[in-house]
Amino acid sequence: MNEKIQRKIFHYLKKKKIENFVGVPDSTLKYFIDECLKNNNIIITTREEEAIGIATGMSLSKSNALVFMQNAGFANSISTITSLVELYEIPLIFLIGWRGYLPDDAPEHLKIGKIQPELLKIIGLKSQILTEKNWKAKCDWALKQIKEKKPCALVMRRMFHD
Amino acid sequence: MIRKEAVEIITNSIGENPIISANGFMSRDLFEVNDKESNFYMIGSMGLASSIGLGIALKNPKKQVFIFDGDGNILMNLGSLVTIGSLKPKNLVHVVFDNNSHESTGGQPTNSSQINLEKIAKVVNYKIFVIQSKTKLLSVLKELKKLQGPIFLLVKISTSNERSKRVSWDPKTIRDRVMKSL
Repeated sequence: MNEKIQRKIFHYLKKKKIENFVGVPDSTLKYFIDECLKNNNIIITTREEEAIGIATGMSLSKSNALVFMQNAGFANSISTITSLVELYEIPLIFLIGWRGYLPDDAPEHLKIGKIQPELLKIIGLKSQILTEKNWKAKCDWALKQIKEKKPCALVMRRMFHD
Repeated sequence: MIRKEAVEIITNSIGENPIISANGFMSRDLFEVNDKESNFYMIGSMGLASSIGLGIALKNPKKQVFIFDGDGNILMNLGSLVTIGSLKPKNLVHVVFDNNSHESTGGQPTNSSQINLEKIAKVVNYKIFVIQSKTKLLSVLKELKKLQGPIFLLVKISTSNERSKRVSWDPKTIRDRVMKSL
């Protein structure tokens, strides 16, 4: 997803009262994360599960939070998502960069990348894929989910190689 | 001192301040000794009490926020000490009840007896207290209100065969009670 839109997504969500951005960096989400940094509105954690814990504490304090991560980190966090976020119904937005979407991505991403949509489905975390055209509608969808106290995920596909 | 005794001494002294307590026997002891709205009982997500506590501390700067952790729990999320020590929340009190064992899963050893957890906490900007006795615990608790965090209390406890009952609140009720209390 292009730089301009990634930066816009940050401001759009911030304007809609997402007050906290917590996570582990991912190159697919590079410009979004850079915008969090520029606006001094970010906590970078050591692992994704830690980010989910911090965001949970913020959400319990009635301050909305988004957790960003790569899909590899999402896979690491599955038990945390099921036994904390879903069990207590903590309304968090997950923003996940999807490596291994392209079949010729780097080898370490292929196996987990291939099952990314199924992983989301199996644990029952509702998700939508963000594109340059639909991003606003999908952000609105996510905002509606958390308003209804449901956690959800927005997924950004890795469409390029570096 | 066993965990339950230490929990009783601490909860008697800290009033209605929020407590985020680790999964397993930790939360069960807290539930049995002093159940209140502002207790967040973690059921699963082992290791994350310190992170949930950090999120609550950052958003509630006027309240002293307590994390009730175990040695097994904190060893699973040592990275959280680095994040807490970087953000330096003044109102965060991290209590680690250390019995050198994974008591909830059958008493298997942790490596907390082989290293100095308090030294790790110290190098990442915590104020540290190592507590071996009830007298020391009481005297540290008296000082606590005047101190700026993050504060690390390493409370050495012995293992025990006494078992507290399970937390009977369902997770969504735990969530709602805590949200109301904050």
